[in-house]
Amino acid sequence: MEVVDARVALAPAISLLCGALVFAAADNTFWRRFWSVSAALAKLGIVMSMLPGSLRGVVYTFDLVEFTPGVGLAFRADALGMFFSVVSSTLWLFTTVYAIGYMEREPNRRRFFGFFALCVSTTVGVAFAENLLTMFLFYETLTICTYPLVIHDETPEAMRAGRTYLVYTLTGGAFVLLGSIWTYQLAGTMTLSQPGILSMEAGRTTLTALFVCLIAGFGVKAAIMPLHGWLPTAMVAPTPVSALLHAVAVVKVGAFGVLRTIYNVFGVELLRELGVCDWLAALAAVTIVTASIIAIFQDNFKRRLAFSTISQLSYIVLGAALLSPLAATAAIVHIANQAFAKITMFFVAGSIQRTTGKTTIHELAGIGYRMPYTMGAFTVAALSFIGIPLFAGFVTKWYLSLGALESDRWIYALVMLGSALLNAAYWLPIVYTAFFKAPHEEVVVQEAHWTMLGPTLACAAYVLLLGMTVSVPGMPFALAQAAVTFVFGM
Amino acid sequence: MTSWPPLLVLFVLTPLVGAVLTPAVSDTSGRRSWEWALGTMLLTSAMAGALIMRVLDEGPFSYVVGGWVAPYGIELRFDEFSAFVAVVCLLGLLAVIFSRHYARDALAPGRIPYYYTLLLLNMTGMIGFIVTGDLFNLYVFMEILSLSAYALVAISGEKTAEMAAFKYLVMGAVSSLSILFGVGLLYALTGSLNMADVTGRLAGSAEAPLVLAFAALTLGFMVKSALFPLHIWLPDAHAIAPSPVSAVLSGLVVKVGILGMLRVYQIAYGSGAIDLSGLNLMLTWLGAISIVMGAFFAVFQDDIKMMLAYSTISNIGYIVMGLGLASPYSLIGASVHVFNHALIKATLFLGAGALIHQTGRRTLTGLAGVGRSMPLTTAAVSIGAISIVGIPPTAGFLCKWYIALGAMQAEEPLFAVALVFGALLIFVYYIRMVNAFYFRKPQEAGAPAVHEAPATMLVPVLILAALCLVMGVLGRLPLSFIEPAVTRLLAPLGGG
Repeated sequence: MEVVDARVALAPAISLLCGALVFAAADNTFWRRFWSVSAALAKLGIVMSMLPGSLRGVVYTFDLVEFTPGVGLAFRADALGMFFSVVSSTLWLFTTVYAIGYMEREPNRRRFFGFFALCVSTTVGVAFAENLLTMFLFYETLTICTYPLVIHDETPEAMRAGRTYLVYTLTGGAFVLLGSIWTYQLAGTMTLSQPGILSMEAGRTTLTALFVCLIAGFGVKAAIMPLHGWLPTAMVAPTPVSALLHAVAVVKVGAFGVLRTIYNVFGVELLRELGVCDWLAALAAVTIVTASIIAIFQDNFKRRLAFSTISQLSYIVLGAALLSPLAATAAIVHIANQAFAKITMFFVAGSIQRTTGKTTIHELAGIGYRMPYTMGAFTVAALSFIGIPLFAGFVTKWYLSLGALESDRWIYALVMLGSALLNAAYWLPIVYTAFFKAPHEEVVVQEAHWTMLGPTLACAAYVLLLGMTVSVPGMPFALAQAAVTFVFGM
Repeated sequence: MTSWPPLLVLFVLTPLVGAVLTPAVSDTSGRRSWEWALGTMLLTSAMAGALIMRVLDEGPFSYVVGGWVAPYGIELRFDEFSAFVAVVCLLGLLAVIFSRHYARDALAPGRIPYYYTLLLLNMTGMIGFIVTGDLFNLYVFMEILSLSAYALVAISGEKTAEMAAFKYLVMGAVSSLSILFGVGLLYALTGSLNMADVTGRLAGSAEAPLVLAFAALTLGFMVKSALFPLHIWLPDAHAIAPSPVSAVLSGLVVKVGILGMLRVYQIAYGSGAIDLSGLNLMLTWLGAISIVMGAFFAVFQDDIKMMLAYSTISNIGYIVMGLGLASPYSLIGASVHVFNHALIKATLFLGAGALIHQTGRRTLTGLAGVGRSMPLTTAAVSIGAISIVGIPPTAGFLCKWYIALGAMQAEEPLFAVALVFGALLIFVYYIRMVNAFYFRKPQEAGAPAVHEAPATMLVPVLILAALCLVMGVLGRLPLSFIEPAVTRLLAPLGGG
């Protein structure tokens, strides 16, 4: 059932307004904080108010402006979009609170929080985009809004990372635009509301080229190898920004774009016939394994997290590329599972850095005694990545492996197993170092400020919640299943 | 009233008479000449409105001067492409308004009346060029337009301005000769100068002179519109001229080449005497190269007006590429971009003019942080920047979208790639500009207390910025307006 409802457009708009107000608040700390938190809260409120309806199967739509028939800006909150927006807006609130604590003494806070709030707006814009054009618009705006965050420190290194980031993502964006124009030319529409709008009439070569165009465009932000180069260098940004880039906004928008391309632009049937997804799945599998192996050798905490992100994102791509309902479920829920676990880890890395100044893993000996809660949260996230039952990551691995078997590609089930081992190989040493190695200095319990510790613990709790409540009605998992039912026409 | 026949000829004569009389009515302060020019432009704009209403009602129409029937007498013709006069009059009007304070500060008092004379003459040339149905008159009006443009570039009397104007003059004169040569050849072939008549008589002409004629016309018009590699006169001329003049030059005068090409196409396609696919291929490639080269050079400019000038080259590239692709979508997109680019570029040049006038600085470095002291102007310029990149929902989007679709339609996806990546480069340098306005710290030394420009400068900029948004949201209107003309143009090609 479709309902016209302005809330879908209001969700991006309200954060936009709050972002503007943050800029207007200039150097007034109270109002800056007030509007930053308001942006996150207001958006979360609006998204959550649509959740019950969405769970009942209602789809909210709103056409903003139509330039010519089929070309316009429109919003639509279907199950997949709702899932993504619920995840991102929940995390946003935590990240905002964390950022307020983390950025306490940094310069240029006005610019930082202003663009931070604008990023909320654009991410939800991508989630609720009804057509490729709207999606492209927000996708590009997100790039622009995150650039000032990446270069926040304005060191030569940061500026260089910022340039790399822009070159990668803007080029990707250009491919997305090209793909959108092409799609419109072939299909006469750019809507994302159907389970596939293209047909085989366009010809195999054309369709393959278009698929490569769109996937390459979105794949830059989803950091599919070899398009991942920007991500590790962008680690120079302040930690809340890394969290934002890696868990909530940028990379997820890329992964979401890949899902939209596969499910709503091409459609499962067409892709099965076309056969290009086998290549994408293979590429994703290679990314999963390679990035994990690289991660093992990183001593810098944030760099290890970065390569883990690259590996984890390809779970989503792999799940989508397998074109089986169970794998698709895994792909969608992994948007949430990876996000909550990864953001927990980034929060931990940031808290340690702010509290003790340590940025490399070998320095962390005994840190578990000094920051027990923080490292406890880290352990939860690490176990989730390894895929232990009761933790969120298990759900992904289970469904992804089932999906691989369902589509007769058992090799990918083996990739899942291997990846679990690799994850254990690079996460558990950190846990071991933190809790079982003798600390270098005298142990004093010294946790981060509550604005940083609170979000860390909340996200870790979510990881457990997502892992244990899969079959509870009303949880986002139901949305993922609704999305799968829709795209597979079941 | 709207269908009163002589209106069309009065439309051309009004700015001409106004121009000639300006020095006579002016006083020492230049105030009277401003009022006179303003009045003339208001009257001309009202006539433009009436004429466009008529073409909306009844389609193209013409007027025979003195009652001499078409092939013998002079014919004035008004079709959908002629609706460009709307934006000509609007920009002319706003440029005159903008000039009130600007001219007083930038020019010697004795030159002010002549400045308005030249501006009005420029308008006359523009309007005449657009509505004439006669090839020789086309040339004459183009010369009125070009000569006044050379003088306008040089009007400040500075050495650099004179050099730029001279460069412009040399290139312009050669291109005019080339066009005259082409017109002469067509006359020799057909014995007629009336465009519709020439179209009818061309069939069966010898091929070699025909190719030469069209080549000469194309070459001339391409210099006028500064297509790469014939663009070298443009950056200096547009950057050094007074800002209202830059707006007119960049928004309108370079479009003469494009409109001229459209007339050439009307003749060539209509007569069916010549196959233009080779020419089209060349134009498409040159257009694509212009897009990328213009944008590429713009990235390295620090002078804001220089940057805008290079941006004009790349936008002309879009339009020429659209013409060259010759598919319905791309032609519609290109024709509408002729309108929209005029609006957008005028926003940018007038906005830049206001910034330069108030701060006395013209580099991005010098203008750092100006967003704090002149928020309205910088907001307007930013809207212009977003429009010219082609981000929805602004005016630049739909035209570029249509040109890209046209490339797909013509099965030349490569050019859509050039278009998209050109837009990316354009985006990069406008981001630099917006970044300088808002996020860089003002230069500390000697920054005077800057505030918004006077209303005569601010209001035109704001009106244009608002139009950039309106034309984006209502982008469908100009598209559907120009569609019949494009359909007619392509009809002889067998449905395109």
